[in-house]
This record gives sequence, C-alpha cells and structure tokens, in this order.
Amino acid sequence: MLAVNGGPTDRQIVRLACDLAKPWKSEIVAVHVVEIDWTLPLDADVAGRSEEAQRVLDFAEAVAEESKYRVQVVLLQARDVGAALVDEASERNADLVVLGLPYRTRFGGDFEIGRTIPYVLKNTQCSVWVVRQAMLEGSP
Amino acid sequence: MERPHAAYFRYTGRGQLKAKPAASLPTTPAGRLAARLKSIALGRPLANEEEAGERLSKKKALAIFSSDAISSSAYATEEIVRVLVLGGVAALALSLPVSIAIALLLGVVAFSYRQVCIAYPTGGGSYSVSKANFGKIASLVAASALLIDYTLTVAVSTSSAVEQIVSAVPSVAPIAVLIGVGAIALLTIGNLRGLREAGNIFAVPTYLFLGAALLTIVLGVIQVLGGDQAAYTAEQLARQQSSVESLSMILVLRAFASGAVALTGTEAIATGVPAFQPPESRNAATTLLVMGVLLATLFIGITFLAVNFAVLPIEQSARETVIAQVAAHVYGDGSIPFFLFQAFTALLLFLAANTSFAAFPRLAAVLAQDGFFPRQFSFRGDRLAFSMGIVVLGVFAAALVIAVGGHTHTLIPLYAVGVFTDFTISQAGMIRHWLRERPPGWRYRLAINAIGCVATAVVAIVVTTVKFVDGAWLVILLIPTFVGLMMFVHRQYAEQARELHVRDDIVIPGPHRSQRVVIPVPGINRAVVQAVNFARAIGPDIRGVYVTDDIEGGEELRHRWERQFPEVTLVLVESPFRAFIGPFVAYLDVLDREWPAEQEAPITIVVLPEYVARHWWDRLLYNQTAKRLKATLVGREHTVIADVPYRRDH
Repeated sequence: MLAVNGGPTDRQIVRLACDLAKPWKSEIVAVHVVEIDWTLPLDADVAGRSEEAQRVLDFAEAVAEESKYRVQVVLLQARDVGAALVDEASERNADLVVLGLPYRTRFGGDFEIGRTIPYVLKNTQCSVWVVRQAMLEGSP
Repeated sequence: MERPHAAYFRYTGRGQLKAKPAASLPTTPAGRLAARLKSIALGRPLANEEEAGERLSKKKALAIFSSDAISSSAYATEEIVRVLVLGGVAALALSLPVSIAIALLLGVVAFSYRQVCIAYPTGGGSYSVSKANFGKIASLVAASALLIDYTLTVAVSTSSAVEQIVSAVPSVAPIAVLIGVGAIALLTIGNLRGLREAGNIFAVPTYLFLGAALLTIVLGVIQVLGGDQAAYTAEQLARQQSSVESLSMILVLRAFASGAVALTGTEAIATGVPAFQPPESRNAATTLLVMGVLLATLFIGITFLAVNFAVLPIEQSARETVIAQVAAHVYGDGSIPFFLFQAFTALLLFLAANTSFAAFPRLAAVLAQDGFFPRQFSFRGDRLAFSMGIVVLGVFAAALVIAVGGHTHTLIPLYAVGVFTDFTISQAGMIRHWLRERPPGWRYRLAINAIGCVATAVVAIVVTTVKFVDGAWLVILLIPTFVGLMMFVHRQYAEQARELHVRDDIVIPGPHRSQRVVIPVPGINRAVVQAVNFARAIGPDIRGVYVTDDIEGGEELRHRWERQFPEVTLVLVESPFRAFIGPFVAYLDVLDREWPAEQEAPITIVVLPEYVARHWWDRLLYNQTAKRLKATLVGREHTVIADVPYRRDH
C-alpha cells in the first residue's frame, strides 16, 4: 500500500512499488487521504469534489502506467491521515506500506519528520518503508 | 470516495483533463463491434506520446524510403532498351553509356539532396525548399508534381511487380490487374497500422532484393568475363521492332529520358527527414548517400548484363521483363534461385510503393497545415498515421493500375516529368537559400546545388519534349490544375479565418442581440413540454408553431395549449397543401420581415422536441420531420437550431 500526497516523492515511491510488485504480480493500492477538519462532518463531500485530490491519484496511476503496471487507487477522507492509513493497511491486509518523506527542515535547521510517519511506523502491523527525498544541494 | 471521472479521464494539471482510451470508445453495441473490428485490422489506437518510438533507424529508413529508388533498377534498364531497340544493334550498344550517364546524374541529384536534408530538417523536400525561397506558386508547383509522382510510384511499382510475377509464372497473366489492386489494398491497410509496423514489414524484403541483385550482378559479371556473352540477332530485333528508326541524337535522348525513371524516389528521404532518429538531418544525408551508391551499382550492373546477354523485353501474352531474363541467364530458367530472385524483385516492387505511402500523406499533411489541402489530411488516425492521405493515395493508385491494365510501360512517360520538375525547383531553391544564408562553406554547397539545378533543368526539358505526345502532356495539364485547386482551398480557408478572427486586445462583452424562440409543435406531449421548459430558460419571447391542414383540430389544440401553457403563444399555420417544412420556414421569414429594420436582427432559436429512439429500428419511426426541418434550417441566417431530446426513461 502506498501513501501518496502529491508531494515530491510520489513518483519515486510508485516506481519503486511497481518494480517490487512486478516479479510477484502483487497488488498495489495507492491511498490518498484528505484530512477533514472538525468544523465539517466526516462524510462531507470534500475529497470527491477536490480536483487536487483526484489529481494526486491520477498522477500515481499515470506513473504506474509508465512502468507498465497497474495500481488501484483509493481516495479517503479522515480526521487524521496517519490513523486512516493504519486502518486501511489493516483492512486490506497489506504486506507493506510505503510512504514518502520530503526532506524538510524546521526553523532552526532540525530535520522535520512530521506526525504522520511516526504514527504509521508505531501503529502499523505490517512492514513499513519510508523513502526520504534526496537532500537538496546545500542542505546540512 | 467516488471518483466519477476516473473511468474516462485523468487530471494532468489545474483544470486540465486527459481522455483515457475508454472515453473514445463507442457507446452502442454496433459501434463497439465496429471499433473491435477496426482494432483487429489496424491495431490498437496509439497515444500521441507513443510516437517517439515511431522514429526510424538508418537501416529501417533505408528500407522504407529507398525501396522506390532502388526498385526502379528493376525496370529502368528495360525502358532504355525498349527505346534503343528501334535503332538496331548499334543503338543498343549505347545502353550502357546511357545508363552510366543516368547514374552520374543520380550522383549529382543525391549530392544536391544531401544539402536539402541538412538545410531543412523539418522535411517536406522540394515543397519546403521552394516555399521558403520562392513563395507560394513555385512551392505549389513542386507539391503538385510531387503528389502526382507519389501516386505514379505506387502504380508503376505495383504494375512492374505484377509483371515480374507474370515473368516467372505466366499462368497468372489474366489476373495481373487484380493482383496489383489487391497489393495496393494490403499496402494501404499496412500503412494505416502505422509507420513502425511498416518499417518492420518492409525492411527484410528490401535487403533480400539488395542481396539477391548484387549476387546476380557479381555472378553475371563472372559469367561475362568467362566468355558467356551473346549478341543481338537480326531475328530477335525484328520481333521487337514495331518501327525502325535511325540511330540519332533524338533516339539517344529518348532512351535517356526513359531510363531517367531510375532517379524517381531520390527525393523521398529529404521529404521524410523528421521520421529519422536524431540527429535527423545527418542520418537522412547518410542514408541518401548509401541509397545513391546502391542504386547506381544495381542500375549499371543490370544494364551491363542485359547488353552482354543480348536481352530484350518479350512482348507476348505473358510478358517477360529484362531483369527476369537476366536472372534466368545467370541462374538458369526455371531454377529455384531464379524463382527466388523474381519473388524478391516482385516483393520489393510491391513494397517500393510504400515509399509513397510514407511520403504522400506527410506532404498532404504539410499542405493541409498550410491551408492548401482540406484539413482532414492533417488529422492522424488511431495509429498515428495520416489516414486520409493514405486512403486517397491507395484509391488513386489502384484506379491508375486498372486504367492502364497494369502496363508499366504506359505509365513511364507520365512519371519522369514531375520528378525532374521537382528536382529543378528544389535545387533552384537551394541556390537562393545559400545565397541568402551564407553559412560557412556556402560556396561549395552552392556549387553542388547549382550543378544539380542545371543538370536537372536540362533533363526536365528533354524529358518533357521527347515524352510529350506519349503522355507527358497529361502531367503538364494536371500540375496547373492542382495548383489552381490548392489555391482555391487556401482562399476559402483564408476567408473563413478572416471572418472568424477575434482581436486579442478586446474584452468580449455579453450578448446584446435579442433572442426569440420558435418551437414547432406536433401537439402536446412530454417531449413538447420539455422543449417549452427549455425555451423558457432562454428568454420570454417564445411561440409554439403548429402547422396543420385541419384548422378545427388546431383550434382544439389552441384551447388546450392556452390552458396548459398560459404564457406561451401558439401560432396556428394552416397548410391546405399539407406541407410542413415550407410553411414553417415561411413563417420564420415573416417573423424576420416584421422585425423593425432599424434594429439589429434577433437570433431565432428553433427548439426541436425530439423523442430519443431506444432501438436502431425506432429511428425509422420517429423524428423524420424534425430531421428534414433541421436539414432545411442549417445555415439559415440568424438562426440557431436546438434539439431537446426526450428519453422514455425520464
């Protein structure tokens, strides 16, 4: 299962997943989670109407096609991205979850890992791979 | 979450959708079946981005673009011998010198065209060159000549291929034309499948012929050197001479003009430069050089053997070509190598027509993009091929083959005129190009093109003069006709563009003309209700028009109408002659005349209630009058037609 978010690592993780899956003809599911804030009901029609969200999944599909492989794409909306990914992985009996991590630093220069990846690493039962974006030139 | 667009589209950017193959699939079962059959015949549709793989390597391009030029060695010698035989043995002795002269001319032309490949990497050959350097008329002359030549290439190559088959298997002579037309049909389908497949199909036979022909020449020369020579006999000459002429300069020039068909196809590589793999120009120039050397070798070699084996074309019920007799002499008549050689020759000639199937549609597309050809010629089909150009070429070439009964010799006089006209225009264009651009080494390049221009101009004049009565007149007539047609098309498109032009420095204001809606009503039903509701959304000026020959029935309808559509006027038009379309259109005319002359005419929107048929046979039962009305109103001034479909499941 791939977690895609429209970030710079999406292409890389889809290609990686296709290369991994091909020999075994494994199923790949690309999941994009749209976070719904607490002011809206969870079933509000947000993700379905979001061109941005559709584009993220369409891009994953297109990259897979370039690699001559198919991915199934799933659009979810949830209060918390990490929890939704963990649930989805568990529901689908995923063997592996692959996430991309952009190389970002917070103010002061410390590496920023965010909160989704630690949550998934801590709570997902299957294996988790995190693909970190290459450091930009000039980064520490 | 649902992704309703996903089956048919993919988002590729902000507000930007890309259609998936499913979006192009027909929705009806019959349409799907037709699409499936088309896919079986022509292959699956290719997306634009798959075009990158359609570029040709030098080896493949040599096979595709040179098969025409190389294959002309199969009949060029025969055309020389056919003329010189009229002058007797002394004249036939000049066959070899004439072919050497033609080969030298080929060298000049090939070197000149190498400059074209380098200077014009976008292709188009003499059309591009003349357009850039001389303007419209000259470029259209070049284009017309090219189009005629491409069509003749298909017809000549196919006819000659059939003659090679007949030479080996005389029993198929009665179906020779059928074989030719069938081969053109197969080539058309092959090309509609796309260029890459064409390359694969055609590469192997071209190289098989090259190998076989070179081997034949080597073995033949060894036989000649070993003393296996023959001399023309008086009896042999008498059989072939329909008339006798003295050996004169005119006879030699006619032989030269006939043999010059060997040069046909030299331009194809320059036209197809964009189809080469990068670096396109360099690869095309190299391929052109290789093609020139191969063609000259084959042409001189076959002529040398024909003269030394004392071969003349045999004109009987089943013809025997010169090249077939040369092969029979080298390998033995009826031997397996002879049959193989004939098969390779015939195959190459069939496939030589493919040079034109690659070049004609490309040129037609360029002309269409420039507005000189109907736009359909620039649209690419499912397989990235210019389908319209391919089909048109196939149809015209097949018609030519049928018209001349498959006789190559009848087509030859038409052939060389256009070729040399093109060569001359192209080379003259290159002279202007070098004089204007003056890049490093321009003097050397200018000299090459100047020599090419003079040489080809002289040959063009000679060919036109000596072949005029044999059929060259037809080409001389056709070229200006095509130029006129293309200028007509261009003028039409230019006028249309002028009429539709919108200045890009203005903000487009909202609609300012009045609108009125007219609904032809057959009565009151759900389809009419839907049409009236649609009309209400357009504006307040709505009227239903009921055309009838039964005015009492009409009055009854009016009562009901006023009750059910109180704010919509119903006009009754009595039609004592039971016509519908005429009175309805006349009513629209009256409405127009009633409009105050000082005001801008309103837009009349004719809303047609349409019942949507559920089955194909339903279509015969419904909407026939609406269809006729639509056909009448299309193009009417200030009139818009709107169909409002009503579906039964609503």
